Amino acid sequence: MNPAPLLETRALTLRAAGRCLVDAIDWRVQAGERWCVIGRNGAGKSLVLRALAGLGVPARSGQVLWRGRPQQDCPVGVAATLRSLMPQQSQDRFALTVERTLALSEVAAPLAAAGVFELMDALDIAALAARRIDQLSGGERQRVALAQCTVQGAALMLLDEPVSFQDPAHQQIVGRWLAKAAPAGQRAWIASAHDPSWIARVATHVLALFGDGGWQAGPADEILTAAVLERTYGCAWRSVDGAWIPA
Amino acid sequence: MTDTRRMPASVAAPTRPRDPAVLRLALVALATVLVAALALGLGAGGWDWQLIVTLRAPRVAAAAGVGSLLALAGLALQVLLRNPLADPYVLGHSTGASVGALAALLLGVQLWIGAAAGASAAGLGLLWLARPALAAADDASPRLILLGAMLASLFGAIATLMLALVPDQRLRGAIFWMMGDLSGAEASGWNLAGAGLFAAWLWLRGRSVDRLMLGADAAWLLGEPVRRLRLELLVLTSLAVGLAVATSGAIGFVGLVVAQGWRLAGVLRTRELALLSVLSGAGLLMGADLLARIVVAPMELPVGAVMALIGAPCFIWFLARSVK
Repeated sequence: MNPAPLLETRALTLRAAGRCLVDAIDWRVQAGERWCVIGRNGAGKSLVLRALAGLGVPARSGQVLWRGRPQQDCPVGVAATLRSLMPQQSQDRFALTVERTLALSEVAAPLAAAGVFELMDALDIAALAARRIDQLSGGERQRVALAQCTVQGAALMLLDEPVSFQDPAHQQIVGRWLAKAAPAGQRAWIASAHDPSWIARVATHVLALFGDGGWQAGPADEILTAAVLERTYGCAWRSVDGAWIPA
Repeated sequence: MTDTRRMPASVAAPTRPRDPAVLRLALVALATVLVAALALGLGAGGWDWQLIVTLRAPRVAAAAGVGSLLALAGLALQVLLRNPLADPYVLGHSTGASVGALAALLLGVQLWIGAAAGASAAGLGLLWLARPALAAADDASPRLILLGAMLASLFGAIATLMLALVPDQRLRGAIFWMMGDLSGAEASGWNLAGAGLFAAWLWLRGRSVDRLMLGADAAWLLGEPVRRLRLELLVLTSLAVGLAVATSGAIGFVGLVVAQGWRLAGVLRTRELALLSVLSGAGLLMGADLLARIVVAPMELPVGAVMALIGAPCFIWFLARSVK
């Protein structure tokens, strides 16, 4: 028998500013799956991730279940072991070091020091361990946030634009790491992202939000097609040697 | 591709220097004891055992208690408002407590109850007014400080108006709270006990308070009961400020100088900050009160003015650092 999916939504509907952004989505995410959420600016990608994480959103209806447990029935301490969220922007006010920030972010099954170092090395932030988080560059801070989200140890990782500030080389580094970050039967992640070529390399599944409440979810090769991309972004797309280019 | 691995993990494994926390704590404790000894021994009358026990000891104990309370209140307020420059005096908690104390004086209620109620009202008012600023993604520090400064002057104006209503025979006592002065302070076990309890709470909740520094959402996602934590912080801060103001009036900048000073010196853990705040808050105010007593002896300065002379330049320096 299949264990309960890491994430399940039942008729989840999200509204903001009087518009319905996501209409009655029924969605299942199993361990081992790597999902990307695509959509135009303001289509509701961050809103979906916030709602999945259990944070407040302007208006919602329907249900979200983590490992079969309704979100609202999970005490905050239990929720922290089931899902983690990497926000689009961290709000740093205090001069914590990277090392200390990561130590504070550990919840379920803390990694050994070697494990943390291995993770930091893979995300190219090992050299930043003693630096202050409020003095990092945007891209560095973003990779630290990804590491924070990972060391929390939850099986479901929700990542709000994990590569938006990354240079091309670090997009590759983060992408390679993400491609291995959801071992079958253990973990899954859901990330919002913009570049279909990058998504095609990294994700197994894609959820496309059309901005009017409409959505389509499925395996990456079914969603990353000229037709769906055009409906998502409102412009034509063509594929050249496996890379998607807006026409 | 492994070009990002600059060296093998075994070589680059993090080697951390020994944490100097214990040594630092011992040195600060030593310095505090030294300041206490100086404060007990120096002053008009010199080394007179009777004088020390009956006159100076209660005053030094009051200074130590109030200093610890204010330093802890500053530390807690900084986390609560996510602003390293917060201080109960700068943000109106102390002036709110003064208004409460004056109201208590007018109504004939216990002073510390009025002061604590006033500090709570000021704290709730600030939290409510600052809600958009606390949620904003931009750096809300200047806005929050201006908001607090306006609250402080509003309460200051109310206090001045109330002073006009206080009967003449009670006026001296009322002015005493306005200025921030320890000359009439009586030793109260409540201050030291309160500081001890506050520090103990911060020690117990150390990791949660540390996580709160990452942001309210971030702490909640990590499983912290954020709403309860912030409520506890607000209540404890208000009680601490209320106790302190009831003893000595509104003395400013202790919380700012102590907690933010240690943060800038590289102390990041709430647990360590709490212990250091108790010790150096006590030391700082005992020292400031000693200065207030001996600089223009035989006359005395209000310790609130001495602290402002120390604290305001520190605040300006911190602010200049945070803006650049």
